[in-house]
Amino acid sequence: MALPSSIHPAFTIGLVLALAACGGPETPTDTATDATLATDTATSETQLLQVGGKVFSIPSPVQSAYAIRKAGLKYQQNVTAPLDKGETMTSKSSQAMLLGMLGADMAYVTVHKDGQRALATLQAIEKLGGKLELSNAFDRALLERFKSNLSSEDSLLRFSGTAFRAADQYLKDNDRNDVSSLVLIGGWVESLHLTLADPAGFKDQALMDRVGEQRKAVNDLLELMSAVVTDESAAPVLKGLKELQASFSGITSTYAFEKPVTDVAQRTTFINSKSSVTISADQLADIAAKVSAIRSMILA
Amino acid sequence: MRRFLLTPLFLIAATVTSNAQGLCAPIADRCERHITAQYIPDGQFYRALLQGDEVAEFDMTLFGGSTYRVAACSGDSDGLLLFSVFDKDRNLLFTNKEHSSAPYWDLAITNTLDVTVEASLDPSKAGSGCAVMLVGFKK
Repeated sequence: MALPSSIHPAFTIGLVLALAACGGPETPTDTATDATLATDTATSETQLLQVGGKVFSIPSPVQSAYAIRKAGLKYQQNVTAPLDKGETMTSKSSQAMLLGMLGADMAYVTVHKDGQRALATLQAIEKLGGKLELSNAFDRALLERFKSNLSSEDSLLRFSGTAFRAADQYLKDNDRNDVSSLVLIGGWVESLHLTLADPAGFKDQALMDRVGEQRKAVNDLLELMSAVVTDESAAPVLKGLKELQASFSGITSTYAFEKPVTDVAQRTTFINSKSSVTISADQLADIAAKVSAIRSMILA
Repeated sequence: MRRFLLTPLFLIAATVTSNAQGLCAPIADRCERHITAQYIPDGQFYRALLQGDEVAEFDMTLFGGSTYRVAACSGDSDGLLLFSVFDKDRNLLFTNKEHSSAPYWDLAITNTLDVTVEASLDPSKAGSGCAVMLVGFKK
């Protein structure tokens, strides 16, 4: 039986303890000390979504949705994922990525004030959350709160952000870092898809810069996915992300540090460093095609 | 033999999970209060178990035109976790060490940049514990 790589440290401890129980040297004090130390190591290696000592943060889909709205692009409900897709998906990896996609879609439809679609999306999320054993985060109470705040965009975005954070916490608490990572990947891919779905957006410099600024995110997602996702059914998406990473690698950027200014009374630091990205129309078209291909793989 | 091996494995895994949950959950609940209603949670939960002088690194991209609230918590009260924000060239952008170990701070971003947030326990107050970081943002 192949064990997920994240279990290996715990397996090692089990093996050490089992061997000790099978007649190792009788040094109870030493054994206890070793077990304690080993458990600490296992904790730091299995319980945290860390790769090489780092914890990754992926840009929130809500920020992409705001950027799309700010660019003045036409709202297109038909570019979001089909809400009934989760009912036919059998692979946990696909379900996890679809959950992330629906989270991004919910942000998109919410900032475009389509409350009914947002509610329907949340209902699809609730069903899918049940399949992924995340009912604690996406439950009836959340649906009810959502229903009674349909006209308040900020409330809806806060509710969904809190629910996805609760789901993320639950997954990490239960050593399901693979699912947690796949949810992030799905959300990120869908956000890019929504950003690039309307060709009119290609003319909006700020929006396209936002695409170019995702270069680090694709690197982080790949590192994360390579480290924690072992499900073979996710392999095509991993391959697709590698190809997408190659497309992003051609984007150039500049950065110049400027001294930040802090307003202590407001507990705010203004970070004024300058940055820019340069992304060509061909690079954008290439990225759009690869994002579309990855999305199709997830929804296949 | 396999059953004999797997039994301790799952017992240990369950214990470790339960310990991490028990340690981090109340800290997360307390930390959540710092992400007030003006801020939209980013939907992710960041944590690390720290011992002694260990440092946890959180990599983030902060987008221009946004204000982020970063809340960093550990132990059973505010001010136990020190956190510093560096740009990709290791220029220090912010540290709560200069602000009485403030448990949260806002970062108003003019241009998009990649940062690393480093978090460590205040050695004068805690020897080990769960470090929780939560992030929210406003338009």
